[in-house]
Amino acid sequence: MAPSSATSPAGNRSGVQLSNTKTTVEFRAALVAMAIVALIPLGVSNPYWLGVLIVSMYFAILAGAWNLLAGYTGQFSLAPATFAMIGAYTTGLLNHYFGVPPLLGIVAAVVVSGLVGLLLGRAVLRLVGPYLALTTLSFAEIMRLVASNSIDITRGDLGLGVAGLLDSRIGWYYLFLGALVVLLILFYMLLRSKAGLFLQAIRDDEVAARRAGVNVVFWKTTAFAISAAASGFAGALYAHFAELVTPELGLIGQTGLIVSMTVIGGMGTLAGPVVAAFLVYVLSEWLRDVGGYQLVVFAALVVIFARFFREGLWGLARAAVQRWGRA
Amino acid sequence: MSGIDVDLAVNGLITGVFYALMAIGLSLIFGILKIVNFAHGEFYMVGAYAYTLIALALGVPVWIALPLAFVVGALLGWLTERTLMRPLYAGYTSWGLMRDEYAVIVTFGLSLFLINFVDKVIGPYAYRGPPLVETSRVVLGPVLISGHRLLAAGIAIAVIAVTAALIKWSFWGQQIRAVSQNRLGASLAGIDTAKASVIVFMLSGGLAAFAGALLSPVINASPDVGIFPAIKSYIIVVLGGMGSVPGAIIASLFLGVIESFGAVYISFQYRDAFGLILLMLFLLFRPQGLFGEKGREV
Repeated sequence: MAPSSATSPAGNRSGVQLSNTKTTVEFRAALVAMAIVALIPLGVSNPYWLGVLIVSMYFAILAGAWNLLAGYTGQFSLAPATFAMIGAYTTGLLNHYFGVPPLLGIVAAVVVSGLVGLLLGRAVLRLVGPYLALTTLSFAEIMRLVASNSIDITRGDLGLGVAGLLDSRIGWYYLFLGALVVLLILFYMLLRSKAGLFLQAIRDDEVAARRAGVNVVFWKTTAFAISAAASGFAGALYAHFAELVTPELGLIGQTGLIVSMTVIGGMGTLAGPVVAAFLVYVLSEWLRDVGGYQLVVFAALVVIFARFFREGLWGLARAAVQRWGRA
Repeated sequence: MSGIDVDLAVNGLITGVFYALMAIGLSLIFGILKIVNFAHGEFYMVGAYAYTLIALALGVPVWIALPLAFVVGALLGWLTERTLMRPLYAGYTSWGLMRDEYAVIVTFGLSLFLINFVDKVIGPYAYRGPPLVETSRVVLGPVLISGHRLLAAGIAIAVIAVTAALIKWSFWGQQIRAVSQNRLGASLAGIDTAKASVIVFMLSGGLAAFAGALLSPVINASPDVGIFPAIKSYIIVVLGGMGSVPGAIIASLFLGVIESFGAVYISFQYRDAFGLILLMLFLLFRPQGLFGEKGREV
């Protein structure tokens, strides 16, 4: 890539480079964080804490996927946990009734949740802000009610037992980590390409983006489908990890956690939500032992960050680095 | 119409009256700020707790505890407006054009906070509020109804009537409607839009808390008790047209009756899903609702 603005006079081109540089810095930071996570099992062998980290990675995938939709495209869906539930039930039902092996079931889960996301994304195309939030919220509640009331098929709130995939917890740890890193790379490649600019242009001003020739319908729907497919993938992996699928995966509270992680980490930044997922979930397990104030603390943090620090922890960290660099 | 149908209709209408108490506030907020308050159900929950705890723990008579619950809800509404909503129109968020998204996140976060705060401070156990009267059953022809529910419905109708009259004829009510119609025009005409917004939030919080207080002997207050009434109010404001108060009242009664019949004649398990499906269909195909003005452009 051509070095800085001294050699490139074109205003709009430097805008492109700026955006790419920002994404690249965030991507590198995320990879460094993942490298640290990869080293944790060398020092921690307690299966409980490994389990906590595995669930953190599940949430990191969901937060990353929701961030792509909300943070980069500006579509505030309140149904990310629902797509995880759909993915989990896809592989769960296939496995339970037809004996489909988990790996095939996970692929099916990605396809099914991606398709459902495509349809929902297409349906809500014209809705913005509160209308979009309400529509996706009712979609989420309807899906949860269906899963918990179709007792003959899903065994309702009791949950559906599904086959496991790996025996060792360390194996699961690196499987989830691998999945997370692969998704991060895919998101990075997407955001660095023209598509990433299209998505952010739609977020910043949909009408202007359309005037500039961006196929708004295509990219909004695609972002919805990709986000849903990634969430469904996480849900399907989780189903085989927990060996149980319940409607609880789609609770509003789960969406609340995903939103909290994204907002605290920094919406519209590649690294923020993923790193925050670890911080929030591990801290919440620790706070649970201390007195169970975890959800109070995180909900308060969401409000405070949304109100005062829109760019979240990532924005705060960047500001601190800049100040330190200047001094 | 047989006896049971009359009973279902009357009970559905009464449920609708309580829905209306919730939905009016939500609709007013939408009218004035063009946002959906996702913490609306938590005002209801706080009202139920305020009434129950004031009456039971402090031994205050129920007739004083009831208006106090309204006051608690109004104070919470005031605090919410001042700390979180004012940036929406005073222009000091960092969210720029994404004010809708800011409102979704911040009210959703407030909802999570209030649920979990009450859960930790008061506890996850359900509290049953003291009824206003002890009469257990009143029989009116084919209609069977508890004394408390009948009295509570009467009070709710009175409160709704007063609220509707205030919005229609009072000085502040007219100002609120002016701001809903055209914020810039209203401020040019010398209306204090910030004050109008504070009043709407206090009224909205107070009414929702009042609904929670009235129903607390029936619903058994618990931290997550507000979630379903809130979802019902979203359905109602969408059906009635976002921002329309008469629309909200009519849609509330309509939903109450539909649910009452649907639960008996169609499916009890899926009674909560009907309204949600209706909500989705309306948002997708008729976002201005049954009575709202068509004006929304993307």
